[in-house]
Amino acid sequence: MKVHVDAELCSGHGRCWANAKDVYRLDDDGYNADRGTTIEVAPGSEAAAEYGMRSCPEAAIEVVTQG
Amino acid sequence: MTQTDDDLGNSTDDLKQRFGRDMFNDFDIDDPQFNEHFFEILDEMVDKCPVVRSNVGDGYYMVTRQADVRKAGQDWHTFSSAKGYMPNRPEGLPYLMPEESDPPKHTSWRQRLNPFLAPKTVAQYDTQIRADANTLIDRFIDRGECEFVSEFGAKLPGWAFFKNVLGVPTDDLDQLVDGVERGTFAPPEERGPAFAGVFEYLGKYLEIRSNEPPRGDLVDVIAAGVAYEDGSTSPWADRVSILVDLTFGGIATTTYVMAGAIHHLATHQGDRETLVDNPELIEGAVEEFVRVFPPVVALGRTCTRDVELAGTQLKEGDFVLLGYGAASRDPRVVENPAKIDIGRDTVLHSAFGVGPHRCIGSNLARLELRATLEEWLKRIPDFGLRPGTAPTYETGILRTMKNLDLVF
Repeated sequence: MKVHVDAELCSGHGRCWANAKDVYRLDDDGYNADRGTTIEVAPGSEAAAEYGMRSCPEAAIEVVTQG
Repeated sequence: MTQTDDDLGNSTDDLKQRFGRDMFNDFDIDDPQFNEHFFEILDEMVDKCPVVRSNVGDGYYMVTRQADVRKAGQDWHTFSSAKGYMPNRPEGLPYLMPEESDPPKHTSWRQRLNPFLAPKTVAQYDTQIRADANTLIDRFIDRGECEFVSEFGAKLPGWAFFKNVLGVPTDDLDQLVDGVERGTFAPPEERGPAFAGVFEYLGKYLEIRSNEPPRGDLVDVIAAGVAYEDGSTSPWADRVSILVDLTFGGIATTTYVMAGAIHHLATHQGDRETLVDNPELIEGAVEEFVRVFPPVVALGRTCTRDVELAGTQLKEGDFVLLGYGAASRDPRVVENPAKIDIGRDTVLHSAFGVGPHRCIGSNLARLELRATLEEWLKRIPDFGLRPGTAPTYETGILRTMKNLDLVF
């Protein structure tokens, strides 16, 4: 499974990280550290990745490849 | 007559009967009826009226659904903050930075300020905030009663901000917190002077700090200023404005969520016992309290071009409020939104705004709320509303709870 974090839309709410710390990382500004890139989700973490994605108030995260 | 017109006709009469005015087509965010029937009106709006219209002053709109609030909040090119966040803004009022600016000026400030309010940074304040919460509780716990707003809710966020984030001298703390409290809760004519005193202090403090060795904190960054796109350095007035904006935005707002949460727990024994027995659920409960007690009811944008939003044609120059409070109760996004459910799986709300102007203090606010509930429930697990009392509220673009009498 791969998810993409939009570089423009991420506004540093930090909800993805708060709800799925194994999948999402924050940078020192409190924004998604991988914004603008596509994250390869570790096998077994798909549900967490989706939970983090659903938590984003900006809808900045989307699944690009289903696991 | 079309079906739509018929529906609208009925609802106009219905609204007038229930709320004394047509809250869809003749809205006034400062109407005492809106304060009185706050949640009921928000639910009506988000259900039936995606764009509310006001005829007050120059007139303004308010979008109520989460998808539309998000669209406008994210599209800063079209929905600009540079002409201020309040409708019918008084002539000559200086703009607050960075809240009342657009990228790239907004970005140049936010990039410098963000690290000081990121989760990792504010986590360092956790121990101090919890100690302060306990200091406040110590003052009234033996009395078996307190007025929560003035004795706790209006104090802790001020202490958290001025002590930890700004590092002001301890001796000045009471004066500052008192100034913000009076600026928020005193009779309206006394509020301006109270806030003016706080802002004057902040200007002097910034000047003092700019002449002292750097401490590596937020105040250093503000005092040094940032480079704007045109190559100029931010003027001094903009730097003071940053401090004013952070102070104005971050203290009384958190007070309202705190008071709302404590009021809910005082009046819902089941939820209170759940959180006392399962403190690990407090973090999720905080998110729900932020959703249902929106201190920022709405903040505005000015259209930079003609644009259609939620089926309504807006013109260049029109003022639109982003209805954060309504959007957090959108049944299209939140199941059974009128219910306060501390165990929700996903709490999707707009309480901290959306788009590049997302509340910069959101991480600090969450920490203060979590520390408050955890420390409070440890010390005072059983409490209720003083019989015969009820909280009173005040609502405009911001909402406050003015009193909350508790017994324990």
